[in-house]
Amino acid sequence: MSADITMPQLSDTMTEGTLVKWLKKEGEPVKSGEKIAEVETDKAVMEMECFDAGVVAALVVPEGQKAAVGSLLAVIATGSENPAEVKQKAMARSQPTPAPVSTQEAAASRKPAMAASSGSNLITAVSGEIHEPDEIGHGATRQPPVVFPPLPHPDNGGRRLRVSPLARRIAARQNIDLSALSGSGPGGRIVKEDLVNPAARSSPPQVTAPPPLPIAPPLPTAAPVPSAFVQAGNGEQQVIPLTKMRSAIARSLLASKQNIPHYYETIDVDVEDVVNLRAKLNELLEPEKIRLSIGDFVSKAVASALLRNPAVNATFDGTEITRFGDVHLGMAVSIPDGLIVPVLRNVHLMGLKEIRQRSVDLVDRARAQRLKQDEMTGGTFTVSNLGTYGIREFAAIINPPQVGILAVAAAEKRPVVRGDQIVSRTMMSLTLSADHRVVDGATAAEFLRTLKTLLEQPGMMLA
Amino acid sequence: MPIIQFREALRDAMTEEMERDENVFLMGEEVAQYNGAYKVSEGMLEKFGPRRVFDTPISEAGFAGLGVGAACCGLRPIIEFMSWSFTLVCMDQLVNNAANIRYMSGGQFKIPVVFRGGNGIAHQLGATHSHRVEAVYARVPGLIVVSPSTPYDAKGLLKSAIRCDDPVIFLESEKMLADKGEVPAEEYLLPIGTANVEREGDQVTVVSYGRPLQRVVRPAVEHLRTDHGIDVELIDVRTLRPLDVDTIADSVRKTNRCVIVDEDWGYCGMGSGILFKIQKRCFDDLDAPIEYVHSDEIPVPFSHPLEEAMLPSVDRIVSAVKEACYR
Repeated sequence: MSADITMPQLSDTMTEGTLVKWLKKEGEPVKSGEKIAEVETDKAVMEMECFDAGVVAALVVPEGQKAAVGSLLAVIATGSENPAEVKQKAMARSQPTPAPVSTQEAAASRKPAMAASSGSNLITAVSGEIHEPDEIGHGATRQPPVVFPPLPHPDNGGRRLRVSPLARRIAARQNIDLSALSGSGPGGRIVKEDLVNPAARSSPPQVTAPPPLPIAPPLPTAAPVPSAFVQAGNGEQQVIPLTKMRSAIARSLLASKQNIPHYYETIDVDVEDVVNLRAKLNELLEPEKIRLSIGDFVSKAVASALLRNPAVNATFDGTEITRFGDVHLGMAVSIPDGLIVPVLRNVHLMGLKEIRQRSVDLVDRARAQRLKQDEMTGGTFTVSNLGTYGIREFAAIINPPQVGILAVAAAEKRPVVRGDQIVSRTMMSLTLSADHRVVDGATAAEFLRTLKTLLEQPGMMLA
Repeated sequence: MPIIQFREALRDAMTEEMERDENVFLMGEEVAQYNGAYKVSEGMLEKFGPRRVFDTPISEAGFAGLGVGAACCGLRPIIEFMSWSFTLVCMDQLVNNAANIRYMSGGQFKIPVVFRGGNGIAHQLGATHSHRVEAVYARVPGLIVVSPSTPYDAKGLLKSAIRCDDPVIFLESEKMLADKGEVPAEEYLLPIGTANVEREGDQVTVVSYGRPLQRVVRPAVEHLRTDHGIDVELIDVRTLRPLDVDTIADSVRKTNRCVIVDEDWGYCGMGSGILFKIQKRCFDDLDAPIEYVHSDEIPVPFSHPLEEAMLPSVDRIVSAVKEACYR
């Protein structure tokens, strides 16, 4: 019996995935548990294992193509089956898949159709006998049909133009090019008002959507960005379709802010001792080519502080609070046009060296979108560090079902008062966002006080 | 013009028709000696005597069938149900027999019978006594379904129903019987199958009927005018089968948007059927999807607050109208 390989659901929010690469060719033998393909989800590129042993009979979906969860990707011939026959059957039952067309080709092929539709090849209703239109739709006498030009499909991110039936009819009668209009209805639907009284609408013509929000400057680590994301500098407005990752971020962050009563506490920490200790340790670790960061000390201190304040090292599902005896630390990592939170497991058992090595590995693979699913789940607390950007202080959004997230800002020289003297010290502001449903203000403050003690006297982490 | 109650309008219609035609008679639970469970038939036993106004046992299937048989034999019965919820036990008589005999006998028998009584949710009667049966009967070819919302319409339509040669499902509401309205002293008839444009407007067409129209639609329309500046054209369809699609379509062609309100459940509800006919006729005139405000799809709760919560409210209608108007 041949075995089907279908698009797996690799995360809760995944509805489709892109087949990035086949790791086996048709005709190649494959063992159970062997990697057969790379699949891109809304979160990462993941390797997909083959469950059945046999010969790869058919690769139904070509590389680079999207496929819905559950749809057929490939078929394995098992036992003594003839791969050619299996392939024939597989191709016969798989949906005819459109040949992959690049966006540019698609746009080019649409243009002639648009030009034709803006001409006057429109047949309007001829006057004649008009009988009661049959409501069921199969009456003997029918009104002569009004023929509308085909709806233009301008290349606005591959989305269909939305037009109310009435607006469509008015446009057909008056020979108005709908693709030049901006829709004011829900989802950008072009409605009567947009045709009858376009001046009343604020958007100028030729614009298909409100201007996008300002885009953050490209990150230093950013890979070459796709052309759709290049920022315009000449007053042009761009419509940027959401990537799967961006939609997932939009959904989950909105849900977090809407459902979790966030509150914030900020504490200033004197990290002069950490800075000195780091310099010493980095000298000693020089032969091993390891350079600790301030962030590694923060991760270490956060793990210790969480063990001492278990109320913050917890998840909440709306009915029950779960407190954890281990610390699995989520680390927010920015990637081009996105954010990913790999999880450093059992960070409380690690020394600084291991924390450094493992975080570097996770961050690198996160940026390459090569994390495994279980490396992005199961966090008990999250740290977001914008210190390298020189941010003085910020507040982060909780990553549910966790109950807290720590925003780590830059370590910088600040004038501070010691005794009655103003002195220069290296200071860092830490802001905890906590879920007030389960973590009260004093509990959060206690956690921050522990954290401050550990960072100001790093020796306490040994105690 | 005299102002009378809805129940008096119904009584006057039956009385006038019984005086006019000796084949008309009234039958049902408590209609005679108790003067009607809701006092609609008060005084009629005294006036017409026990041969033409008589009580039945609590057996809807029995007396509904008796009515269909009497109509077959040339009489013009008016059958009162205490509640339309109880007709679920006599659907065989209404759907199989009343609706089909004229067709299946090749026109040899006509069935001039009127079935009337309270329909829908009448406050804390619980799930089994709160059915809204309009969609159940309005989908049956062979039946006529009427649902008035004012005493004036009730009288004019009931008189036409009694004179109609086909079986008429006449839907009232216990919660409307005390409503008062102007009703002319002189005789008049209202045609079955004609909707009433109750209020003219040009921004959105609101379609409703019967109890929901009286309870929430009229207040919502007023609220929309005063607080939101939305000018509603309000249509009381009055007859649910055959539906006056022409009147509704004329209005939707003018306003380009439509909101339907009833107290039925939404899925396969009365409004769904009306919606289908409007979109079929008016697709190219619609500037927004047709909205449908209906009851929540749950059994009708006994609890007062829960019953209120499941029903269409002024707020729900206002927000549906605003949505249809892109406001």
